[in-house]
Amino acid sequence: MSKKLTKVVELTGQYAGLIAFAIFTTFPFLWALSVALSEDPSNIWLFPRSFLPTDPGWAWFVRVFNEIQFMTYLKNSAWISLCTIVGTVLVSVLAGYPLARLRFPGRGLIFIAIIGTMMLPSEVAIIPNFVTLKHLGDWSTALLGFKLTGLNTYSGVFLPTVAGAFGIFLMKQAFEQIPQDLIDAARVDGAKELQILWRVMVPVSAPSIAALAIFTLVNAWNEFIWTGIVIQDKAMLPLSVGMFNDLTGPFAVSTSMVMAGIVLSVVPVLIFFALTQRYFISGLDGAVK
Amino acid sequence: MASVKLKNIKKNYTKDVTVIKGVSLDIQDGEFVVFVGPSGCGKSTMLRMIAGLEDITEGELLIGDTIANDIHASKRGIAMVFQSYALYPHMTVAENMGFALKLAGIPKAEVEQRVKHAGEILQITHLLDRKPKALSGGQRQRVAIGRAIVREPKVFLFDEPLSNLDAALRLQMRVELSKLHQELKTTMIYVTHDQVEAMTLADRIVVFNAGVIQQLGSPLELYENPSNLFVAGFLGSPKMNLLDASVVSGDAKGATVRLPKGIAVKAAVDAGRAKANDRVTLGIRPEHIQLASEADQNAIPARVDLIEHLGDHVLAYIEIPGVNEIMSMKLPGHSTDLKYGDAIRVVFPEAECMLFDAEGLAFKRLR
Ligand SMILES: Nc1ncnc2c1ncn2[C@@H]1O[C@H](COP(=O)(O)OP(=O)(O)OP(=O)(O)O)[C@@H](O)[C@H]1O
Ligand SMILES: [Mg+2]
Repeated sequence: MSKKLTKVVELTGQYAGLIAFAIFTTFPFLWALSVALSEDPSNIWLFPRSFLPTDPGWAWFVRVFNEIQFMTYLKNSAWISLCTIVGTVLVSVLAGYPLARLRFPGRGLIFIAIIGTMMLPSEVAIIPNFVTLKHLGDWSTALLGFKLTGLNTYSGVFLPTVAGAFGIFLMKQAFEQIPQDLIDAARVDGAKELQILWRVMVPVSAPSIAALAIFTLVNAWNEFIWTGIVIQDKAMLPLSVGMFNDLTGPFAVSTSMVMAGIVLSVVPVLIFFALTQRYFISGLDGAVK
Repeated sequence: MASVKLKNIKKNYTKDVTVIKGVSLDIQDGEFVVFVGPSGCGKSTMLRMIAGLEDITEGELLIGDTIANDIHASKRGIAMVFQSYALYPHMTVAENMGFALKLAGIPKAEVEQRVKHAGEILQITHLLDRKPKALSGGQRQRVAIGRAIVREPKVFLFDEPLSNLDAALRLQMRVELSKLHQELKTTMIYVTHDQVEAMTLADRIVVFNAGVIQQLGSPLELYENPSNLFVAGFLGSPKMNLLDASVVSGDAKGATVRLPKGIAVKAAVDAGRAKANDRVTLGIRPEHIQLASEADQNAIPARVDLIEHLGDHVLAYIEIPGVNEIMSMKLPGHSTDLKYGDAIRVVFPEAECMLFDAEGLAFKRLR
């Protein structure tokens, strides 16, 4: 009897903790959702009351679609994020592999230098990157006749962010986890170094790559300052910048519409997460032993 | 299929530590060679050098007639089975087995056909669509072996492939490996520190210790004529009894040695190079010690310390007064009613006694 009681108390405690944490982390989003669903905005600033939609309806969402170029922004966001993810995964895998698995002089120093960049706030890079990007754009126009990269291009938005210390670190750790026997087996099976990387190391590291992709997606999706600086063309803006420009400022329509926009912009990330999360759980089971 | 020749192979992992100290070895085409030796003696290192997974510091490696020192692992035409199985976790069993063929650009239909054939040999056709994590240890081991045989390699390398299996499965796989070798007739090099595996599988055994070959020969040769103390102590279970002794007299026809307390024992060895009072080691295998008959004059008195009934035979641990080591002797199953504390008398048959000099080298046996 008392054993059962302890168990109940224990479970209650665990659930209470988890629920408290869930509320703590989701309540801004819940509030935004509730406000966006309230066709009548009169209660949105009242504390507990605002969490229950007043006059529930889709009106604000419809207005978001009608009054700003939501679909254009969404498409731009998706494109920028996709490029950032692909670029980041590519760079991190290609940099993480030699750092984890190959022996060459200066390896430790290079790794420390890469990790060292984590110490600097990213804002430090804004001005040098802007100047570099402008010159790259000018050279590109002069040499090729078109703007391969430069200000007001998408590559200008994502290129400076793809080589991140975090991603390289994550992939290095993941590759170090892979048993040496697996690599040796592939080598004896006739795989060259790059085949080992793409056909064995990368698939086996899928959980880490999925994690990296999600982190990168969230960062790229929410990126605001740098994108706002590089892109001048309104039709090229992603959601974060475009919606902020359109829905806030002196001509702002209403808080409710901002919230509806925010909710709409979060949904794609949630969908992506739902689709990729199963990769987190499949691991190295059955590889060795 | 190919022979493998090692010519004075050396290996250093770091500048000052030599792990393999000059190994020369000729392995014939189609031979089953087993490397045995204690942990850390360099068996895996040898195998990995043959596979191309480690650089050879010095010496020459020939696979077939070509010098293979600088050939990349992927081009040597060698298949290796790892102790940890090393199956690709993201591929099905069939994909695991076909991976090497796919890399070699062999058409899909042929890959499938060869994978199926290997699956039949190893009786794993019903597992072909599973991922490695849904297999038992023994099944994984079969897949690992299957992955090696589909390639029809020139040489098979096995690094302790059975050491993660339980005793029954190990026995079964051992028999299957033996059959496999008879069927395929491919050169096989097999590393183990299980001497039963070595004795049963090998055409020839290579005994390593501390990076050098101690002895090489057929299992029986090594068992009956160990060239030194290390090999004598390493092969055989329970171990050969090794007793300190000193020479009384010795010539080309035989030797007489004295155990502590003046017990004299004769050994049928060519002791021409021994002098009186040399320190030697007398060796006798447990199955060769006999219980003495009443009449025997030369019998050695002993006391029973422990009896182990193993069904088909009985192991008796006995103590001889003056001798520090406890000796083991193997007796037929139901033939004895010995018990703890019994005083017995034993004989060491002259023909079965071996003698090793102070450096541990064996005197040649006379037979
Ligand atoms: N990568 C390495 N760097 C340095 N030393 C190594 C390396 N690999 C092995 N050694 C050393 O080389 C020696 C031989 O190792 P090896 O793995 O060949 O032993 P082994 O005979 O296979 O032993 P076991 O039966 O335990 O597998 C050991 O002393 C080991 O410490
Ligand atoms: Mg080993």
